[in-house]
Amino acid sequence: MVVERDIRLFFQYKFLIILRAIWFVSQIVLFGLIASRMINVREVPDYFRYYVSGLSIMTLYSAAIFIGFDIYEEAEHGVFEYLLSLPVSRRQLVLGRSIGGGLRSFIYVGPLIAASLFVIGAVNPLNFLVALFALFLFSFGVSGMSITIAVMIKSSDRFDILMGVLDALIVRLSTAMYPLAVVQAANPLYGGVANFNPVSYAADLFRWGTGIESTYFTLANPLLPLLGIIAFFAIFTFVGVTIYDRRIEGGGWQ
Amino acid sequence: MPSIIQISNLTKKFGNIVAVDHLDLEVEDGEILGLLGPNGAGKTTTILMLATVIRPTEGTATVGGFDIRKNPEKVRELFGIVFQEPKMLWVSTPWDIVNWHAKVCGLSTEERKRRVKEVLESLDMWEHRRKNVHALSGGMRKRVELAKVLVQRPKIAIVDEPTAQIDVVGKHRVWNMLRRLRDEGSTLILATNELYEADELSDRVAIMHRGKLLVCDTPKTLKDSIVGGDIVEIQLENDASAKIVEELKNFKEVVNILQVKPCILRLYLNKVEEVVPKIMNTLVKKNVPVTSIHMSEPSLDDVFAHYTGLTIEEAQKSGE
Ligand SMILES: Nc1ncnc2c1ncn2[C@@H]1O[C@H](COP(=O)(O)OP(=O)(O)OP(=O)(O)O)[C@@H](O)[C@H]1O
Ligand SMILES: [Mg+2]
Repeated sequence: MVVERDIRLFFQYKFLIILRAIWFVSQIVLFGLIASRMINVREVPDYFRYYVSGLSIMTLYSAAIFIGFDIYEEAEHGVFEYLLSLPVSRRQLVLGRSIGGGLRSFIYVGPLIAASLFVIGAVNPLNFLVALFALFLFSFGVSGMSITIAVMIKSSDRFDILMGVLDALIVRLSTAMYPLAVVQAANPLYGGVANFNPVSYAADLFRWGTGIESTYFTLANPLLPLLGIIAFFAIFTFVGVTIYDRRIEGGGWQ
Repeated sequence: MPSIIQISNLTKKFGNIVAVDHLDLEVEDGEILGLLGPNGAGKTTTILMLATVIRPTEGTATVGGFDIRKNPEKVRELFGIVFQEPKMLWVSTPWDIVNWHAKVCGLSTEERKRRVKEVLESLDMWEHRRKNVHALSGGMRKRVELAKVLVQRPKIAIVDEPTAQIDVVGKHRVWNMLRRLRDEGSTLILATNELYEADELSDRVAIMHRGKLLVCDTPKTLKDSIVGGDIVEIQLENDASAKIVEELKNFKEVVNILQVKPCILRLYLNKVEEVVPKIMNTLVKKNVPVTSIHMSEPSLDDVFAHYTGLTIEEAQKSGE
């Protein structure tokens, strides 16, 4: 029920959703098509497909982050107090909200992923299902992270900026946009971060699931990124519960 | 009557503001307890602590046998809250809001459907049920907020200024609905700064000021506790003699007599309803004709003034 509410809430932002979709499409047809003409190195023979799959993950990430902004909106309108007063445990509340936030971004990104699959082509059904499952967990984890950070920071302006910074760090330093080998070559430290990054895991698994990864490098063991994503999801859901509980009940949100 | 809530030493500080200051209070099972106090007295903060929405700085309370610190989840199952500010970020409709609330509180589909309709109808909100909440007036939003708890029928209902912004006809209807809720077995805590509302609804009234409990008792006892709080003004056909004034002073309930004009006596007394007939008898016996008589009981306003040394308006101004 908590889940249902968050999903419905998200789809109230019709304008935003449409703009996002336009953004996605124009990224593909403009940036993707043009940039891929420029990039033609040995590691990446077909940057366009690589880019489209990475873009899907990035969009999923930013849609899942969105729930953090809802938290501020709610704090401002005092809806928090209402949610906290309901006969629902804190664990159910945070889990419900992470899942709601993740699910809604999934529903939202779903058609875009389908579109990008259409562009990418090949699908291996079993791998694809595993990848899909991983993306689910990934989006729940990102929502959980967003909630956790929102609750810790308690100021929407600072949250906005921090999310920008995080976006720059987590997303840019991942394999969403460029293969690990390239990142590694640029700076070993960057490579280290990218190698230990849920966005990379999600992107790698997605490419592995859709079968495009094999063209660039072979994902030695899909289990590793999968475990990484599960850990990511688990940490932020459970840390989220604790922090949600501690911070919010202290009051002082006005 | 057994108590369902025991508050002991409950304290909440926000920075260096002490919003609730070592509060001790018991709420009896099945009563309507009025929590009366001016703005900033700490009513809402007390309520939010009981509902486990905010954590006390010090002290605790037990609700239905569960400690709010140790068993918050059990405590929350007992409560339903009408918030002072209607909570509806939903960007949806009254029906959705009330229905969602009922669902979360575990009402079955059938019961929910029936009750939501019933309550929205009796609050005159049924025809507005599909409107966007942003298109509702302030009073309508408050009605939606009330509907949640009326549908839920919780063991303990907390209503924070339930009729603020609601029109006069609506007020009386809401009061009746809250009384019915109590008669059906719920305990109610009514936070308000409207003296008339507190008087009208409460079985007992707790007066709060600056985070502290000043007094808690039935409205009647509170009013009677003000010595000489009742006022009777008697206008006589002729000027009153010193003898008759002396005679009236002999009633033990009469605290003071003021001769406002030669033919008008103002009596400060207790238990006006019992004493006035006796006074009338005496006057008739002594052959003193009376032109008119005017009585006034003390209101909770006077009670408030008595315990705080301020009228509620003054208290509102002096609070931060
Ligand atoms: N979240 C908060 N942060 C800081 N101070 C707060 C907070 N909530 C309440 N206060 C302060 O605590 C005091 C008590 O406030 P509270 O809302 O409990 O009063 P109230 O009795 O409900 O008043 P009203 O009649 O205006 O609703 C006030 O001084 C208020 O400024
Ligand atoms: Mg209040």
